[in-house]
Parts: sequence; structure tokens; C-alpha cells
Amino acid sequence: MKHGLGTFLRKSAISLCLLLCFGKAAAADDSIEYQVKAAFLLNFTKFVEWPADSLGAPGSPITVCILGDDPFGHTLDQIVGGELVNGRKLAVQRIRRTPAPGSCQLLFVSTSEKEIARTLPALGPGVLTVGEGESFLRDGGMIAFTIENRRVRFRINQTAAQRYGLKLSSKLLSLARTVE
Amino acid sequence: MRAFSDIPIRQKLIVAIMATNTVALLLAGLGIVVSDSFLFRGYLARDLSALAHVVADNSTAALAFNDPRAATETLSALRAKSHVLAACIYEANGTMFARYARPNAPSGCPAFAAQDELRFNRTDLVLSRAIMLSGRRVGTLVVLYDLGEIAERMKLYGGTVLLVVLVSGLVAFLLSSKLRAVIATPIFQLVRATTSVSETSDYGIRAAKLSDDELGVLVDRFNEMLAGIQSRDNNLKKALHDREEALRDAEKARERFRFMAESMPQKIFTATPNGDIDYFNRQWFEFSGLPFEEIKGWGWTQFVHPADLEENIERWLHSIKTGEPFLFQHRFRRADGLYRWHLSRVRAMRDASGDITMWIGSNTEIHEQKEKEDELRRANEDLQQFAYSASHDLQEPIRNVAVYSEIVARRYHDRLDDDGKLFLGFLTEGGRRLATLIDDLLAYTRLGVIDEPTAPVDSSVVLEHALSSLAEAIRESNATVTYDSLPEVCMGDAHLQQVFQNLISNALKYRKEEPPQIHVSAVREGATWRFAVQDNGIGIDAQYKETIFGVFKRLHRDARYSGTGIGLAICQRVVERYGGRIWVESAPGEGATFFFTAPESYPQSRSATISSAGS
Repeated sequence: MKHGLGTFLRKSAISLCLLLCFGKAAAADDSIEYQVKAAFLLNFTKFVEWPADSLGAPGSPITVCILGDDPFGHTLDQIVGGELVNGRKLAVQRIRRTPAPGSCQLLFVSTSEKEIARTLPALGPGVLTVGEGESFLRDGGMIAFTIENRRVRFRINQTAAQRYGLKLSSKLLSLARTVE
Repeated sequence: MRAFSDIPIRQKLIVAIMATNTVALLLAGLGIVVSDSFLFRGYLARDLSALAHVVADNSTAALAFNDPRAATETLSALRAKSHVLAACIYEANGTMFARYARPNAPSGCPAFAAQDELRFNRTDLVLSRAIMLSGRRVGTLVVLYDLGEIAERMKLYGGTVLLVVLVSGLVAFLLSSKLRAVIATPIFQLVRATTSVSETSDYGIRAAKLSDDELGVLVDRFNEMLAGIQSRDNNLKKALHDREEALRDAEKARERFRFMAESMPQKIFTATPNGDIDYFNRQWFEFSGLPFEEIKGWGWTQFVHPADLEENIERWLHSIKTGEPFLFQHRFRRADGLYRWHLSRVRAMRDASGDITMWIGSNTEIHEQKEKEDELRRANEDLQQFAYSASHDLQEPIRNVAVYSEIVARRYHDRLDDDGKLFLGFLTEGGRRLATLIDDLLAYTRLGVIDEPTAPVDSSVVLEHALSSLAEAIRESNATVTYDSLPEVCMGDAHLQQVFQNLISNALKYRKEEPPQIHVSAVREGATWRFAVQDNGIGIDAQYKETIFGVFKRLHRDARYSGTGIGLAICQRVVERYGGRIWVESAPGEGATFFFTAPESYPQSRSATISSAGS
């Protein structure tokens, strides 16, 4: 337990340091920006309730899929490594095509993807979609990262989330700049 | 400031009621305030914990997504709690993430604490609570709560309690003024009763009984006590009155005695039972010229003649010791320095039980009387001496007359004619009678010279001598003299013989026709013997019973009854010299019985008469 607690604290310190140190002042810096976004991705999983059938068997991990070019690099793997959300581990998969239903619980759509408006409806229910820019919401995405005052923020399309059977925590909603 | 114990009961009751009331209410108020403060703290802790829980929970997302603004908003919801002074959210590493401060709040957030805690300070409450997200601590919420509320509540409660105390005190005061009358009024009644009793000393006053409680009992007892005192007071007054009366009576008696004592010509005094003289009447002071202070007690001894003093004191002490009356003749010095003879009599006055209460004495001045007595005695002695000398000197010429008249009668018998013989006979007879008279007178006067007492004499022997002296007369008269056995008596034998001789001679002389019968007897009478000489002669008329004992008293001028008239006088003188008396019992024609008494023994002390007669 002592070992576990020590590990936990160290990792927390790292993730929070990343969040705070870079989240505030270094949005312009790509690597810091994506470190913050990576932490946000992780935190989103804590405020989202998936439909029961979309999570798979108990103990099976929550899979975070990155569609297109990976802007996070190793950072995401570092951040989610060892994290437990509702008793499930997190797994990272980098994909190039629209994932099969049930294979991803959170899908980050990289800006490298051009056919977002077509890709998103093809996804089955139970996938939280996160993208970049307000256009992502218009394309049917659920959460979109934005930069405001040099800080990473996000917007939410609740309608989309509801449509796909996802319940977003009111706490999360209250932090979002716009909720559609 | 008076002590509580000195203030009136009415005020004590008010103080007691008010104090009890106030203390009870204050204690109740204090209890309420204290318990409320504890309860309120518990409530506050729970309430604040719950609030912190909500706030912490609502802050998780803000922390997770690094949104201090949102966190600040969340915190600002605490505005509704006016006593929350400040609230802060720290990040996991202790950095301040968001804060809220009440407007005008003096202090900022307490420092970050790694542990959850709920800490009551003096004026505030600090609550730290970890903000957890998915089992991970993402921050800490710290709330600073102002406990001024508690003080306010306490103030409010205090005020309420104070108000209640005041109001209930007022109500209690109004109520107690009614209620205390129940207790105080009977006490006032009692106090009023005691006050008027002590002021008027009227024990007839009674306190009114207003209740049946202890005060009622007290009133009853008080009244009983008063009744007791009243009866005792009455008894006391009566006893006092009786005593005063007795004292007045005693004073009256004393006054009477004083008046009497002061009015008497005699000197009067009184003495205590132990002989201290405590009163002299005025006559004493006039006589002695000395003040009471100098002669009281035993001071009187200074004016007693030194020659009398020793015996005086001896006799006075004897009387004091035995209680016997004191009788003494002594000389007292008068104011002018001359001594005067007094006869003092002192007698003991005794109470009912026989104890001596005082001595009362009188001193009668007998100086003149005594001088006259002396004068008389001297005169008497002179007379006796004269009579003795005269009788003695007369004896010789008378004897010559008798002798020579007899010689004449014998030798010149033939030469005398009848007349001569008759006249000579008268002469001879006269001479003989004169000789007898002279003898008797000598005998009488000789009695002034009494012998010193000798041994007792046998009176029967003395009687025999007397009878032999009278033998011729007895034979001539053909008389019979008988006598019983006679006792020994203390008289000179010559004196006793003279008495017998005279009495028997009388009996022979005053005879009837028949031969005289004479009987001598004696019976004891106390310390004396009473002799009786009884005859059957002519007897004596009762009217002469006393006079016959005078000198030259003769009842019969008749020649038949010759005599000098001195015999019975001699008898009386002899008998009286020895302290006896002589008398006769008779009726005319019935004979006579002469009685005389003679002492069985000589008196112990010499009588003045005897001693003076000796000179």
C-alpha cells in the first residue's frame, strides 16, 4: 500500500504539474498544450457516464482512441498509465479508420481528419467524441477543445452526447463555455 | 450596611425569594446557554461539514479542468452563509486555487492543511476537507466560519435570560408581597405583642394566633409563657406586697418599740444573739454622753466601773452562752464622770423554734435607793448596836432590882405590912418581867449577829434541848408534847432552838382549860423542810394572822397570858434570816398551827443581807 500510495502521489503530482504549469501559460506551446489536453481527456472520463452496454465486461478498460495523427505523443500514455476510472483501467489506441462499435469509449478526432462530418455519425452509441475547434461540434462532435485567453477550454454539444446515450456530469457542463 | 441577619424579616423574605428566583433562573439560563452552545457547535459542525462536502464535490470538476473561476463561483455560493468569513480551495500541492471572502471579512483563508479537520478556535471555526475525484485527492477546501454567531446567540440568550429574570423577579416581588404577609403578619403580631408587653409590663396581653403552622405553635407557646409569667408576676407582686406589709409591720413594731424605749425613764438597749449591743435608747446617750458608735457592740464596757467590769463581762458571757437571764448590779460612769449604781436586767427574746433572736435589756438607776438602803442599814445597825448595848447595860441594874427585891422580900418579910408585901410583890414581878424582856430583846438584837454557816443540825436534838429548857413550864401546864422524827436542817442550833422554844412556849401560854396537846412535825417541800407546831389552844382570829409577828404585838392584855411580845418577832426574824418564812393557820377555839420553813442546805452564794449583817 505504501508503494501504491507513493506511486499515486507521484503520478498525481506529475499530471497536476502538467496541468497547472503548462495549462495556464503555455497553450501556445504545442507540447504543453497537448499535455493539458491529454489530462483533460483523462478527466473527461471521470465526468461522463457511459451506457452500461458500451463499456464491456467489468474490469475491461476504457479505451481512448486517437483517430488520425497523434498530437499527444507519449504524454497521453504517461498520463493515463495506471489511472483507474470507476474501477477500470484506461487504454490508448491510435487508429486510422472509423472504429468498430464498442471498440472505443472515447474517440479523440485529430485535426488531421477531414471527413469528420461523415465519420461521426458512423460511430455507434456509447462513444464520447472529443475534437478540436468549434466546428467539431457543428460536425456532430460532443466536446471540443478551444483556446481562450491562452488557456485550454472546452465546449460541449450536449444534444449530441444525449443522442448517443452519454450522460455528461453537470459539473462538466458547468465548466463548458457553451453547451448546445 | 447592615448585616443580612439584622434586617427585618419582611426584607429577608423578599431577599430570599428574589435571590432564590434570580439564582434559579440564572442557573437555568446558564444551563440553557451552555448546553445550547455545545449543541449549537455540534449542529454547526455537522452543517458546515455537509456544506463543505457539497462545495468540495462541486469543485471537483473545476479542479480537474483547472477552472478557478468556476471554483470561485462555487465558493461564492457560501455567501448565503453570512458567518462564513472565507473559503479557499487549495490544489493538491497546496497552491491556492480559488478563494472566497465575505465582504468586509477581516482575515484571509487559513493555511493549507494536508489533513481533514474541524477545529474550533476562540472566535472561529476552521474546517479542512479534501476534495476527492475518483479516489484521488485533487484539492483541499478550507472554510473559516465566524463563531461570532455563537456569541450572538449567547448574547441573545443572555438577554432573554436577563429579561426573564427581570420579569419573573418583578412577578415574584409582587407575588411575594402577598405571600410574605402570610409569614410576616403573624410575626409582626408576635413582635407587636412582645413589644407592648415589654413596654407596658402588662402580662395580660396575648398575641393573636393567625395560623396553625409553626408560627401558630409559637404564638400559643408565647401566650402560654405569658400566662405563666403573668401568674408568676402576680404571685411575685403578692409576695412583694406581703413582704412590704410584713416589713411595714416590722417597721411599725420597731417604731413602737423605739418609741416605747425612748419614752421610758429607764435605759434600754438591745443586743444581737451573740451579745453585740446594737441599740441604746436616748437615755443612754444622755447618761453616758457618748455617741452610739463608741458604745455599740462591746463599747459599753468603757463606762462600767472597773471594779464591776470583770464580773459583769463574766456574767454577760454566761448569759449569752446559756441563754439565761442576766441580772446584775453595777456602776456606770455618768457623763460628768461620776459612777451611778444600776440594776441591769437582760432577757433573751426567742422565736417560735426557741432560738434567741435578740436580747432586750434595761438598766434601772438604783443609786439613790442603794444609798438609802445603805443609810438605812447603817441606821439599823446603829439601832441594833444601841439596843444591844442598852439591853446589855440594863441587865445589871435590873438583875440588881430583882435580886435585891427578893432579898427584901425574904429578909424583911416580917416587917412589911400587907401593902408593903403587895407592892414588893409588884416590884419583884416587874423586875422579873423586865429581866425577861431585856433577855428577849438581847436575843432579838443578837440575831443581827449571825454565825458563819456550820454543819447541818439535827432538828430533833435541837427540839429536845428546847423542851428541856421548857421542862418546868410543861410540867406546870400538864402539857403533852409529841414529835415525829425530824430532819437535819441548815440553821444555827441556837436559832432553831429559839424558834422551837418560842413557838412551844406560846402554845403552852395560850391554852384552854384542858391540858395542852402539842405536836411537832416536818415535811419536805422542795429544797426546804416545812415544820409545823400544832396545838389545841385558844387559836387566833384570822385578822391577826399577820400582826402577831410584829415586835411587842400582843393580842392579849390579859394577865393570864404573860409575855414580852417579842417571841414571834424573834421567830420571824430567825426564819427569814435563813431564807424561810413563818405563818400561822388557825381558827378561834380550834387551836393553832405555826408553820415555818428551814433550808435543807446552805445557799451556794452568800446573800448580801447576810454578808452585810456580818459587819
